[in-house]
Amino acid sequence: MSKRFYILTILIAVSLILAACGGGSQAPEQCADNPDETVCAVIEPGSTIKIGYAGPMTGDYSAFGIDISNAELMAVDDLNAAGGLEGFEYELLVEDTQGSPELGAAVANKYVSDPGVVAIAAHTFSGSTAAAIPIYAEALRPMLSPSATGADLTMNQTVFNRIAFTDTVQGQFAGEYIKNVLGVEKLAVLHDGDVYGKGLAEKVQDVFTTLGGEVVAIQAITQGDADYSAVLTDVGASNPEAIYFGGYYSDAAILAKDMPVAGLEDVILFSDDGTFGAAFIELAGDQAEGVYATSAAAQGSPRVNEFGERFEAIYGDPPGAVSTFTWHGYDVIMALVDRIKSVAILGEDGNLYIPRQALVDAVNGLEGYEGLTGDITCTEGECNTTGPTFWRVEDGEWVQD
Amino acid sequence: MSESNSKKLVVPINTFRIVQVIISILFFVFVGWRFYTVIREGVYGPDTWLRFAISGLIIGSVYAVIAIGYTLVYGILFMINFAHGEIMMLGAFSGYFVFEGLKSITVDPAVDLSFLDAYQIFSVVIAFLVGMFVAAVSGYFLERIAYRPLRGAPRLIPLISAIGASIFLQNAAQVIFGPKRRTYINPSALPRSVGWRIPIGGEDVILTYTGALTFVLSILLLIGLWLLVMKTRYGRSMRAVAENKQTAALMGINVDQIISNTFIISGALGGAAGVMWGIHNGIIYHYVGFIPGLKAFTAAVLGGIGNIPGAMIGGMVLGLVESLGPAVLGIDFQLKDVIAFSILVLVLIFRPSGIVGEVLTEEKI
Repeated sequence: MSKRFYILTILIAVSLILAACGGGSQAPEQCADNPDETVCAVIEPGSTIKIGYAGPMTGDYSAFGIDISNAELMAVDDLNAAGGLEGFEYELLVEDTQGSPELGAAVANKYVSDPGVVAIAAHTFSGSTAAAIPIYAEALRPMLSPSATGADLTMNQTVFNRIAFTDTVQGQFAGEYIKNVLGVEKLAVLHDGDVYGKGLAEKVQDVFTTLGGEVVAIQAITQGDADYSAVLTDVGASNPEAIYFGGYYSDAAILAKDMPVAGLEDVILFSDDGTFGAAFIELAGDQAEGVYATSAAAQGSPRVNEFGERFEAIYGDPPGAVSTFTWHGYDVIMALVDRIKSVAILGEDGNLYIPRQALVDAVNGLEGYEGLTGDITCTEGECNTTGPTFWRVEDGEWVQD
Repeated sequence: MSESNSKKLVVPINTFRIVQVIISILFFVFVGWRFYTVIREGVYGPDTWLRFAISGLIIGSVYAVIAIGYTLVYGILFMINFAHGEIMMLGAFSGYFVFEGLKSITVDPAVDLSFLDAYQIFSVVIAFLVGMFVAAVSGYFLERIAYRPLRGAPRLIPLISAIGASIFLQNAAQVIFGPKRRTYINPSALPRSVGWRIPIGGEDVILTYTGALTFVLSILLLIGLWLLVMKTRYGRSMRAVAENKQTAALMGINVDQIISNTFIISGALGGAAGVMWGIHNGIIYHYVGFIPGLKAFTAAVLGGIGNIPGAMIGGMVLGLVESLGPAVLGIDFQLKDVIAFSILVLVLIFRPSGIVGEVLTEEKI
């Protein structure tokens, strides 16, 4: 009896070892022992390689989320039309954060709980992104954001990268442009009190003062108000030649409307990439004329023009019309997929294996990718190596200045 | 309240009262000193002061018209109709769609002349009438659905119902009209940010046509309403219901009818305020009524809730405080709402009956 039991035990042990060896020969080595897919994403034939987008799809700032996700969807369609990866198709998941940190964290948790999601082409808005970074870091999902520009997002973290230039870079360029190109000597600085607007305004103020200009007034406005004539009157009392506004288009439109009432008809209004876009002109109407804004809009090359024509044919608006990040959205997907291709392994069992840590490292080390927005090379999370461009409203259109 | 008033005669020294008086004196001395310093230092020229005042009075006149809506309802039902800001929002949207519609009607294809530009005064009148009508109807149904079933309930219950109605209307508007902000198309004779130029201190101060329209119309509406309540037979029955519902009913007044009509009148005023808001400020969306609603409530309390001239004075004072306050105190304009709501708190502590507040009867407190 005991002898038979002994033999049976040995047989079971041997068969277990054989089974384990069999598994090992089918899946790549680093993914062999990975039942819960925390280390490796396993994509079975028939499933898709999922990439997550999270941004404001409803609410005040839905223009950003809708535009960027459209560009990302177009990139995914292009990739699938070109055959996908080893017969596997890509899929873009889109979730609404309304731009808020709370929903940003909620969406991040949702994506992390889906083992099929390999990378995140988001988030949009800095606050929402900051809330999501630790969640993705723990689950090893690399992020490449088209639009989160808060200066300190790339510090002290391991998974976040972005191809939008930071607020610091934008502020630097804007300050220099106002002083050196427009020749303004007396500048008033306004912001909406938000992380984005305030950070930009402070940077512009620094740069402008360093260059020898005089900042004559600094004021914060109440976001979402309907009338800024009082605060503009206060600013106007110090006779500025130009006003820099750090904030978004809806507030910028009201500022543009109220400037004549405050006696600032001849004063230049200069804003940021949160103002750039067709929505501002639509809201401000005639008062939009002569307003400046910065943008990352890439210009000129045949590839960019070809993209613009195709985008307009699909969605009706040219890129950059709804938000300034259309090109970024397309680039983000293309760059992420380029990295996914470099680490993905086709197992002998027909499954596609994507080691998560290797993908994080590959995205963090992205180098020399030629996108629509120029060269994309990531150093410590910052992937944009070209600065902003400057635009002005002329006859109801944004024209590069 | 009246109890403590009568006690005051008995208790000779009230420490709390003395502290109150000292604090309020210190507060006024501080504000006066700041005001003096700012004027002495010459930070702002006379043109700047005039601009602040114009801006404040225009905003204040809109607050006043909305505040009347709160005051009327409070006067009759002793409840705060927190959905009143949303009624104003519905009025603003109605006016917007009227202008959009009239703009799309072409009367002279040869020169591409739209109805809106051909009959401008008529168009503005239609926008106001439609805005007031839609808001009045909304006000009527708001009372029927959200408040009348709770007529006999404790006073906290209709208040909660009001907050619920406010959230419901905001979200309904977001679903129906979308979250997008829209810009009012004004008739060509009423361009925004253009107006008469008043020369003062070597500068031209602009008084916008839209601002002047808003101000004058508000004053007319308030005078009209005051005449209605104080001088007509109908106004007398409203005041009777406000005084005591049971007695009014015994005198043959249809109390339900009066209450319904009060909501219709207050809704119509809210609608007019919404159209004025759209014409003057230009940008509207589903959330546009919420903050003005809170401000107008503050204005109503400031002037003395339940009191029509009080709401008007409260609105103007609040508008001026918002535009002048940060400048006088020398603080950031971002804090203007803090100043406005601090005033609400101060009024509630030191003078709960408001600037021109009536002595309230036992029942109203």
